Amino acid sequence: MSLNQLLQRVLQSVLTLIGLMLVVFVLIRLTGSPVNLFLPLDASDEMREALTAQLGLDQPLGVQFGRWFADAARLDLGASLWHSRPAAEVVLEALPHTLALGAIVLTLATLGAVVVGALAAFRPHGLFDRLASAGSLMGASVPDFWIALMAVLLFAVSLHWLPTSGYGGAQYWVLPVATLVFRPFGVLVQIVRGSMIAAFTAPYIRTARAKGAQNRRVIFVHALRNALLPMVTVAGDLAAQLAGGVTVIETVFGWPGIGKLMIDAILQRDFAVLQAGILAVAAVIVLINIVIDLLYPLIDPRVRGQT
Amino acid sequence: MKDHRIGRLGVLQRGLTTASLALGLLVMTSGAQAQGALKVVLPEEPASLDPCDTNHSANSRVLRNNVTETLVNIGTTDGNVVPNLASSWSQTAPNSWRFKLRSGVKFHDGTPFNAAAVATALQRAQSETLNCAIRGSKLGTNAYTTKIVDDLTLDIVSRDADPIVPYRMAVVDIGSPAATPGDKKTLTPVGTGPYKLERWTKGREIVLAAADGYWGDKPAVRRAEFVWRGESAIRGAMVDTGEAQLAFGIAPQDATTLNDKAYLNAEVTFIRIDTGVAPFTDLRVRRAANLAIDRDSLIGSVFNKNATKATQIILPSVNGASQALTPWAFDPQQARALLAAAKRDGVPVESEIVLYGRLGLYPNATESMEAVQAMLAAVGFNVRVEMMETSAWLKKLLKPFSPQRQANLLLSQHDNTQGDAVFSIGPKFASTGNQSTLTDPALDALIELGTRSTGTARRDAFRQAFEHIEKTVVATIPLFNMVGTMRVSPKIGFVPDVNTNNEIKLRSITFR
Repeated sequence: MSLNQLLQRVLQSVLTLIGLMLVVFVLIRLTGSPVNLFLPLDASDEMREALTAQLGLDQPLGVQFGRWFADAARLDLGASLWHSRPAAEVVLEALPHTLALGAIVLTLATLGAVVVGALAAFRPHGLFDRLASAGSLMGASVPDFWIALMAVLLFAVSLHWLPTSGYGGAQYWVLPVATLVFRPFGVLVQIVRGSMIAAFTAPYIRTARAKGAQNRRVIFVHALRNALLPMVTVAGDLAAQLAGGVTVIETVFGWPGIGKLMIDAILQRDFAVLQAGILAVAAVIVLINIVIDLLYPLIDPRVRGQT
Repeated sequence: MKDHRIGRLGVLQRGLTTASLALGLLVMTSGAQAQGALKVVLPEEPASLDPCDTNHSANSRVLRNNVTETLVNIGTTDGNVVPNLASSWSQTAPNSWRFKLRSGVKFHDGTPFNAAAVATALQRAQSETLNCAIRGSKLGTNAYTTKIVDDLTLDIVSRDADPIVPYRMAVVDIGSPAATPGDKKTLTPVGTGPYKLERWTKGREIVLAAADGYWGDKPAVRRAEFVWRGESAIRGAMVDTGEAQLAFGIAPQDATTLNDKAYLNAEVTFIRIDTGVAPFTDLRVRRAANLAIDRDSLIGSVFNKNATKATQIILPSVNGASQALTPWAFDPQQARALLAAAKRDGVPVESEIVLYGRLGLYPNATESMEAVQAMLAAVGFNVRVEMMETSAWLKKLLKPFSPQRQANLLLSQHDNTQGDAVFSIGPKFASTGNQSTLTDPALDALIELGTRSTGTARRDAFRQAFEHIEKTVVATIPLFNMVGTMRVSPKIGFVPDVNTNNEIKLRSITFR
C-alpha cells in the first residue's frame, strides 16, 4: 500500500468514525434519559428539569451533537455523570486491559491454530486431523461463560492452583486467557486446515517435494505462507470482536475491561462514557483493519498491485 | 541389564508433576492473611466516594461509618436516632434544631471536626451544581442553613418546619472542609471514621487503612480491601478459597454453604396497583388481587426461605409503621367471588392487565412475577408479564402517567433505613407523590399531619395512613420483607443487620 493509499484509507476511516458517532449519538438518546436513573426516585420535578438542562439534554439533537463534536475535536469527550470524571479517562483506564487480554488470547490462538491446522492438513482424515477437527469444533461451540465457571470451580475452588478472579500478576491471567482462547483457536484451526489442504494440492508443493524439501519446510514455508491470507482475515475479525470487550468473561473474572464498563454505561445511560467507549473501540477496529490491509501484500506479493 | 529408560507413562507422570509444580508456583498465598487484614467482595464498584453521594448503596457500603461519619446513626432494632459525631440534640424552634458535637474529633488530615465543618458539609450536600445523591431525596425539598453557636454547637435551621432533622442528619456524611472541594466531587474522601482511604485503583480495588487517632474504639480490622465481582458464584467462591473473608449479595441458588448468613435487609417487595385505571378502580378487584397470591408457596422457592410476609411497604421497626396490619390470607375462592361481584356491576374484570417487572430487581425477579401472574390468572385475572430494564421501568413508575395507559400492576421495592415513615409515604401515596396513582384527600391529610407532628402524634398519624393505604384503599399487593445473604468466612465474626445493604461496618468485625 502506498503512502497516498494509506492516507486515503485513514481519511476514509475518520469519515466513517464521524458517521458512526452521529448514528450512535442519536440512537442512545432515543433509549431514554439518564436523569431518572441518576436522581433518587423521590427527587422533585424541579431537580429533574434542572439536571436535564445542566446536561444539555433539553436542547435539540442537532445542537447537542454540534456541541459534542466541537468538544470532541478538542479531545474533550465530556464528563461521566456517574463517575464524575472525564469520560475519556474512564474509558482509557479500561481499554488497555481489554486490549492486552485480547492480544495475548489472539496470539496464542493464532500460533496454536497455525501449528495444529497445518499438521492436521498434512494428513487429512488421519487420526490427528480428526482429533484436531473435533477439538476445534468443540472449542468454537462451547459457551465461554460455562468454561469460565467450570475452570474456576476446578482450578481455584477444588485444586487451589489459581485465584478465582481479579487482575494482577501472571496467575490472574491464566484462567481468563485459557477460557477465551478456545473459540478463536477453534475457528482459526478450521480456517488454517482448509487453506492448507487447498495449498497442498498446488503444483509448487509437488515441485518442492520433487526437489527434496523436507516435510517441515513444505508445510511451514511453502504451503503455510500461501494459506495465511484467509487466516489473517479471520484473525482480524476475531481481533475486532476481542477489542470490543468480552463482557461475560470480564464479569466472571472481575477483569477491569471495557466490556463491563460499556454494559454498565448502557444500563446507566451514561452517554459520555458510551460515546467515548464506542469511539475508542471503533478507532481500534479501524486500526486493526488498516493493519490487516498492510499485512496482505507482505504475506502475498501478488496482492501488492491490487491494493 | 536394568532398563533405565522411562516409558510413555513415566513421561506423562513427570510432565504432569512438573506442570502442577509450575502452576503451584503461581498460586497466590491467599491463605496466609496478613494480621488484621480483610478482603470484602462487593457486587459492583462504587461510582463515587464523595461524602455527598452516600444515597447510593454501592457508595455508602464503603464510605459510611468507615471513612466518613454522620452526626447520628439510626438504630438497627428500633429505628431510633443514636449519637455519633453529635452527642446530643434538641429542637429549639419548629424550624430549628441545636446539635452538640463530640469534642476531640479530627479528620484524617488533621483538620478539627467542628461546627464549621458540619455547616460546610450540609451546604455542599444541597449544592445545585454538584448533584449530590442525597439532595432531593433524604433532604427533601426543604432548605437547610446553619448557625454556628460555638465551636461544638450548631443550629440547623430549615426553611419549613421539620420535626425530623435528626433523622435526616443520619445520611449527611461529613468530609473534611480542607480536603473536600466545594465545586466538584472528590475521589479521595477524608473523613473522621475509623478508616482512611489508602487508595482507589479504578476497576480493581479500594483499600482502607485504620486511621490512627480515631476517636472511637480501635477496630480489629486494620486494613480492608474492597473488590467487586459481578457474578454471585465467584463472590462466594472467593470466600471458599480464602481470597476474601466477606462476600456481599450471594444469590439464593448459590447460598448453599454453612457460611451463608441471611439477614433482613430493609427492602420490602410489593406490587403497586394502579388505582386510576379499571378494573383496579374497584376496591373488590384490588382485594381479589391480594387474596389470589399464595405468598407461603413463594417463600423458599422464588424468594429466600427466610423472607417474611410484608404487611406494608416499610418494616415494622420504622417509626410510623402499623403494628396492627397482618399479611393477606390466600383465599382464591373469595378472590373469584369478589371478581364475579365486580363483573356483575359492570367492572371490566376481563381487561388485560400488564404486570410490569424490573429485570434484576432481586434474584429470581422474573420467575417470581411469572408465579404471581399464574396465581392471578387462576382466579380469573387476565394478566401478562412485561419485564423491563430500569430505564423503561422508571417511565412506568414515575409521573406523568399516560391517560391512555393500560390497567397495570408494577413490581417495586423500597427500603427505609432512615427510621421514619416520612421518607416512604409521601412520594408513593400522597396525591402529589411522583409515584402515586392515588387521589385521596383523607390520606393526604393524614400524611400532612404526620409530617408536621412529632412524637406519638406523628407515629399515630402515619400508622393510620398506612392502615388506610393497605386496608381501606388497598393500594398495593405487599409481598415480602426481603432477605439478603452474605458469605462470611469462619475466620471472622460478623453479623449482618438491617443496615448492611447500605453500610458494612468494618469496626464491628472481629477475627477468630
